Amino acid sequence: MKRVPTLDRRTFLRRSIHGALGGAGLYSALGSLQLSLAAAMQSRAKAADYKALVCVFLYGGNDSFNTVVPWDAAHYGEYRNSRQQLIADGGLALAQAQIQAQALSPLAASGGLPGGRAQDRDGAFVECGLHPALTGLRSLFNSGSAAIVANVGPLLYPVTQATYDDGSVALPPQLFSHSDQSLYWQTSRPDNATANGWGGRIADLLQSSNTSLLPMSVTLASQNQFQRGLLVPQYAMDSYNPDNPVTRLSYLGYAPPDYEDDGGPESWLLANDQSGGVAAHQSLLLLDSQQHVLERAYARTHHRAIANYELIGQSLRNNPAPSTPFPDTELGRQLRVVAHLVKAAHADPGMRRQVFFVASGGWDFHSTQVADQHANLAELSGALRAFHDATLEMGVANKVTSFTASDFGRTLGMNGDGTDHGWGGHHFVVGGAVRGQRFYGRMPSLLADNNPDDTGYGQIIPTVSVDQYAATLAAWFGVDAGGLADIFPNLGRFPDHGGANLGFML
Amino acid sequence: MNFARLALLTCFASGIAVPAAQAQLSHKPDAVLRHGFEDAASGPATDAEAARFLAQATFGPSSSEIARLRTLGYRAWLDDQFNQPVSTQVPYLNWTRDLPGTPQGNNDVNDETMLEAWTINALGTSDPSRSPPAQVTPTDQLRQRVAFALSEIFVVSNANGALSYQSWALASYYDMLARNALGNYRTLLEEVSLHPAMGIYLSHLQNRKEDLSQNVRPDENFAREILQLFSVGLVMLEPDGSVRDGNATTAGVQPIPSYGQATIRGVAKVFTGWNWNNQGCGAATYTCCNEETYDWCGPANRDDPPWRQPMQPVEAFHEVAAPKQLLDYSGVTLPGGVLSGGGNARADLAAALDNVFRHPNVGPFIARQLIQRLVTSNPTPAYVQRVAAAFANNGSGVRGDLRAVVRAVLLDPEARFGHWLAPDTFGKLREPLLKTTHLWRALGARAANGRAAGLRSWPYIEDQYGQGPLRATTVFNFFRPDYRPPGESVARKLDAPEFQILTDTTAVSQPNHVFALLFCHYVGSTRCWDSEDPSELQIDIAADETLASTDPARLIERYNLLFMSGQMSPFMRQVLLDRLNEVPAQVWSNEPLGRRRVQHALYLILTSPEYSVQK
Repeated sequence: MKRVPTLDRRTFLRRSIHGALGGAGLYSALGSLQLSLAAAMQSRAKAADYKALVCVFLYGGNDSFNTVVPWDAAHYGEYRNSRQQLIADGGLALAQAQIQAQALSPLAASGGLPGGRAQDRDGAFVECGLHPALTGLRSLFNSGSAAIVANVGPLLYPVTQATYDDGSVALPPQLFSHSDQSLYWQTSRPDNATANGWGGRIADLLQSSNTSLLPMSVTLASQNQFQRGLLVPQYAMDSYNPDNPVTRLSYLGYAPPDYEDDGGPESWLLANDQSGGVAAHQSLLLLDSQQHVLERAYARTHHRAIANYELIGQSLRNNPAPSTPFPDTELGRQLRVVAHLVKAAHADPGMRRQVFFVASGGWDFHSTQVADQHANLAELSGALRAFHDATLEMGVANKVTSFTASDFGRTLGMNGDGTDHGWGGHHFVVGGAVRGQRFYGRMPSLLADNNPDDTGYGQIIPTVSVDQYAATLAAWFGVDAGGLADIFPNLGRFPDHGGANLGFML
Repeated sequence: MNFARLALLTCFASGIAVPAAQAQLSHKPDAVLRHGFEDAASGPATDAEAARFLAQATFGPSSSEIARLRTLGYRAWLDDQFNQPVSTQVPYLNWTRDLPGTPQGNNDVNDETMLEAWTINALGTSDPSRSPPAQVTPTDQLRQRVAFALSEIFVVSNANGALSYQSWALASYYDMLARNALGNYRTLLEEVSLHPAMGIYLSHLQNRKEDLSQNVRPDENFAREILQLFSVGLVMLEPDGSVRDGNATTAGVQPIPSYGQATIRGVAKVFTGWNWNNQGCGAATYTCCNEETYDWCGPANRDDPPWRQPMQPVEAFHEVAAPKQLLDYSGVTLPGGVLSGGGNARADLAAALDNVFRHPNVGPFIARQLIQRLVTSNPTPAYVQRVAAAFANNGSGVRGDLRAVVRAVLLDPEARFGHWLAPDTFGKLREPLLKTTHLWRALGARAANGRAAGLRSWPYIEDQYGQGPLRATTVFNFFRPDYRPPGESVARKLDAPEFQILTDTTAVSQPNHVFALLFCHYVGSTRCWDSEDPSELQIDIAADETLASTDPARLIERYNLLFMSGQMSPFMRQVLLDRLNEVPAQVWSNEPLGRRRVQHALYLILTSPEYSVQK
């Protein structure tokens, strides 16, 4: 089998990747000066350790109010009333005993640290439990490895029911719409429809920390807005076969000498005549040689894909996957691949920062919510539990933080056997660096009538902005104050619950 | 109109017209110059122009269709297509269900069965579910192509659990799109709204009126998407599709929302009370829908008629009393866009759909997306405006005539000559499914038993290609109309929707699928484990083998015409020729050199940047 002619392999890969990215210089010339400056400032203090941020996106809008549920008598009564009848009687309400069996044991205040018990708008404590399917997340919370951030959602400014009703405060456009709300969660910029994702912008700022050629932004759930940046591309992988998530191009046929495996599927059909084919393929895809803008973009994508699978394949082969078992579910398979990638990256001294994206769909519970949400939450809980265990096995638990995000929380009220699009929702943060076993933010009222926290339609007004949630994670990840101001320009508008830093990261 | 002459001048001015005799290997296509015409719609004057038109208007050109189009001319070809009978998928599912059960799985009907029917209709291969004297071969290639475009706008998907494995519902929905693809948009919108597949997908089936005592409010899902995705979009548009500026005194464009939450709630109230069609219901079959059975009535089996019949109202669950805020716009018929209370479900539906249909956004909103699906990702505002004008008035005072719209999309001077006006940016990335249908149509693919199962695959085709018919991950389709890949497209503000599914994953899996099609699945192949499966589509390589072995340069010209509308650059020709000349004979025993050359030529073309952008 012939190899790529003329260029040595590493040079080829480096050129392909850097060429495929367009190079930082190109973007500077195109006017992204502010970002380049911020990146330059930030790069003076290069990170010395490895850290990974893992976004777990639940597409469709999880029903938070059946996920984290009060069981003390007063608050349970309100919840039960909003959700009509018990599930057994055709409503959506979980039984009090079910929730109490899944009770959370948040820490009280001690040692100078604030307490972590959930509180309502009047400062009264709310005793909470988790949905019965969330056994793994409950053990993570109660053992200090997970925190809950209450009632988070996209905001432009703090909003109260009064300012919502009188229209005196600007609201994110197209509230309650899937595409818009999931976009705002991923960009944290309801005021800028074309903003890049906050994951992508964090990666842009910190990319100079990485000297490795391994991809910094990896998605297991296809291209997304969260990781869209100016400089750092998203590398998309799949997880059908988590044992071997890398597939090669059949037409390139050859197996390089440092690989033990074969080429792409059916590449044996080419027998031994393929050196000319590889050369022709390369000529046609030659970077920046095409006349048409879209042809150049097409060629760049293919270069990057080939270079990345070569690099990642090699890296994964050199570093066997952690042995922690993962559930064979969509999120389980995706997080299993992420765990393997973390292991490989952690072993690479040139790799300092990585941003991952995994996702599952089917959280839009307009109908048949009871069965669907149970299955989805069980999948989420099992996958996050396994992922955390794998980071413990690899000794990187305090370097890896995963967090949930979703289009929106759902309405308190029902339509038929489901709920409609809402606004604020509760979220989980998991990892060894999480100041866990605590609630952050405050719990909204669950009153069905005259609810002081809703829009008048059962949609709960968020009391923590996505900016605050994201900035707290970004600060842990190593983004400095200037970088935070660049990525989250509206952050200063939210003074409550700790302002720019909610305090849930160590 | 002097548009064409202007196009030529622009060509020269921008230096695109490189003389063909120039020996240097250019990456630009040869300029093809025409003289002596005035009307964009008067062609095609060459086979290449015919091939280019067919790449936009069908699932791919073939030699015979090029010849036919040249004989008829664009206008007559379109008129002929408008009158072809509609090809559908449901009969194919029924036919499959009624087959003998052996070999095992022979009469299984699942979502892959629908994919077979889709493929048969896209390719125009003989349909085994039809028998003479009926025409056994689908002939409505334009209608099928437009229906596919509509399926990417009016999205339902089997990725939603409630529609997964509901193959009859999905096939019936697609057939509904095909029936209306060349009809009127108002009818299309109503049939989309009332199809049970949509009712399930966006959850307005069994939606109910407000009942605050039960804390129940109408489901807003469909109300939101019919406005945002199927008709007017989020913001007010100018007649040319550009975003209207709400404040001329400030810098930049300040968009004006097309509607607010009050309208969504009003439209949600309209879509209450709708339930399954009662056709065939009864004690012996399945529960009829009425006030008592509202939540649990409906079909028992996947092939029961209610899955294919328009939804029907149960008035007790329709929001009658409340007035309903609909769209409010200049010239709106209802005062303030408010539909007063008192109407029944059908009357409210008609009023609401009329209210949406008359909104000035609909023409430019739909026009731009159809142009993007068929012709180019970045039409000029003037092009959008011309198509939107055809939507507003087909020439006989009729609004929403999709024949007029499709004619305007395809015969616009920009559709015919845009590649001369803006050679570096005009066109669109070809969708992976369209690349494959293009290959199959150009190479006369057939399945021995007629079942056209070429897209049945594991992983599923949507995972390998990033798309599959009625298989989008969300109602927002596989890609959004305004998606731009990072890099030059963002910097130059060029939309490139199809790039959203060109990921690092599909950049490998899609070419690998094509690789298997070429190297495993040709007539007579025994090469791969599934090569002899009678339901696999096999391309006819033998027809080109002699040409390939004796004159590879002419083979390349043949494929240049069929696949690239004659736009292949001299550079690419030379790369292909060099490769074909060095392909060794007899890699496998008894393997003709010609076959191998055809396989390599096609793989390199189908994965090349030049082919991948339809210009």
